[in-house]
Amino acid sequence: MLDETLALTNRALKKWVRNPFTIIPGLATSAFYLALFGNSFNPTNLVPASAGAAAKSAILSTTFGGALTYITYLTAGVICLIIVFNMSFGGIDIVLDRQLGYFNTLLTSPIPRAAIYFSGVFQNLAKAMLLAVLTFVIALIIPDGLKLTASFGILELLGAFAAFTLLGLGLSCVFTSLALLARSIDSLIAVVNFINLPLIFMSSSLFPSSSFPGWLLAISNVNPISKADEAARILIVNGNPASNGMMGTFVGDMLYLVGFVVVMAVLGYWAAARAMRPE
Amino acid sequence: MSKTNIIEAENLTKVYKGKVKAVDSISFSVEEGEIFGFLGPNGAGKTTTIKMLNTIASITSGKATVAGQDVTKHPAKVRDVIGVVPQELTADDELNGMENILLSARLHHVRGDDARKRASDLLKLVDLDGAAGRRVKTYSGGMRRRLQLAIGLIHTPKILFLDEPTLGLDIQTRTKMWEYMSKLNKEQGLTIFMTTHYLEEADGLCNRVAIIDHGVIKVSGSPSQLKERVGGDVLTIELTTGPDITDFLRSIPDVHDVVRTDQSYRIKLPKTEKALPAIVEGVTKKGLEIKEIAFTKPTLDEVFLEVTGKSMRDEDAGESESYIQNIITERMQ
Repeated sequence: MLDETLALTNRALKKWVRNPFTIIPGLATSAFYLALFGNSFNPTNLVPASAGAAAKSAILSTTFGGALTYITYLTAGVICLIIVFNMSFGGIDIVLDRQLGYFNTLLTSPIPRAAIYFSGVFQNLAKAMLLAVLTFVIALIIPDGLKLTASFGILELLGAFAAFTLLGLGLSCVFTSLALLARSIDSLIAVVNFINLPLIFMSSSLFPSSSFPGWLLAISNVNPISKADEAARILIVNGNPASNGMMGTFVGDMLYLVGFVVVMAVLGYWAAARAMRPE
Repeated sequence: MSKTNIIEAENLTKVYKGKVKAVDSISFSVEEGEIFGFLGPNGAGKTTTIKMLNTIASITSGKATVAGQDVTKHPAKVRDVIGVVPQELTADDELNGMENILLSARLHHVRGDDARKRASDLLKLVDLDGAAGRRVKTYSGGMRRRLQLAIGLIHTPKILFLDEPTLGLDIQTRTKMWEYMSKLNKEQGLTIFMTTHYLEEADGLCNRVAIIDHGVIKVSGSPSQLKERVGGDVLTIELTTGPDITDFLRSIPDVHDVVRTDQSYRIKLPKTEKALPAIVEGVTKKGLEIKEIAFTKPTLDEVFLEVTGKSMRDEDAGESESYIQNIITERMQ
């Protein structure tokens, strides 16, 4: 099964890489999100210039976990945003494969149905993670962008991306099965739009959940996007979690994300297998 | 020695969503090594039948076996031995011809040097060896169809299913496709099950055909048997002058019917070649002069007309097939 999954994932990635119109807008979106959200939502803009730089840094330190700049706080959120959007709309390729007949070609081939499903999961994950890495790089190089602490090392980098990967994997399981169930691009987009924006705004991606009303906080606390945000942000903003007493929260978030992936993979495959049954 | 049946369908029925009966209790068999054509207009149930045999459409009732395996009970075993060339053009635009065929090889567990050799041989067979390294988006519609044929053969299937293999092709490319299919059948003994609504395709290529309309098989047999069914050939003889020889012509063995119009006689007979010498000799012996002589072979369209009450050429594309046709046309351009 692994070989067929890799073959189909490879096919999708080759098609993606060879079409510059899919990657370049993706990169531009990352830069725009960082630049636009980083300026329009920047809480330090609310502090009058007369209050001085200390007041601006105080707001970041009290509400935004001590981030050195707002973009430092925002980077994890924007990466989650990029992951959510890429996962949700990545399914369009699957619907197109069905509409253009390629899907039937797969179904008449002697390959496990699970390979078809998981190749969809992995191809979207791979695309989103490449954009996630590039978003991180863009955040580092833009003016007043991502400022890492001295204790941020390779382990912290891997840890942050492990959190993003788990979020991406879980979401990819959900959206790949939705794409397999959808019979048209229109219906997929309608469902995806119904899910993704509320999912983002009910998370701590763009603003700390501490300011949320109780009902929203309750939802945000179980939202996997918030968990990935929090886990990655602990590392990106504060560096090594062992040195600042946040290891427990980080491990808890990661375990939650692992559970999310397992549950979504099982449910997603169950739904996908139904969608791949003979018509 | 009689050949074995490689496909058997018994009272095969497909009802979509409990309402639309796409295929209605059809039974047929396909012998190993033959080209079997499913002939019918759009929406007749051809594609649904092929989908059931290919394991991607469920069977509402009845039974079908492919290469001895029940398609419902052992779909995976069926998929191992079938090659499928769908109606749609499914090769990936962004991959080149060789990459497309090697991907199919990998999905059918053909690996390494075997895969590369087989891919090269097949690309050569369909005259695409010179374009193997080009991305498929630069291919013409005919090249795409030829590539699809090669893709469907990469794992040396026992049976090749072709759904409207020449749909939308110009006559030259269509003739080429017929050549390839005929070659594969004759040289490699490949069993081919194809659907088509091109009468001349079924007539020229298939050992046996079944005419399907509204989900029901109206008639089946070899193209010549079916054409004989409608009364065989039509011989037209025009004499310069002379008496009415209708009764004389009717008395000749094998002549089925004679219709006279002035000095012209329309004679229906099973095979012109058999009765022609006797007719010409008899007319000459009577001292009559033949002004013009012509004969036409009956076509499958006439067979279709007789069994369904309408001409297949009058049929329009159904809505869903028009949609597919639009996509195909788009890719052809």
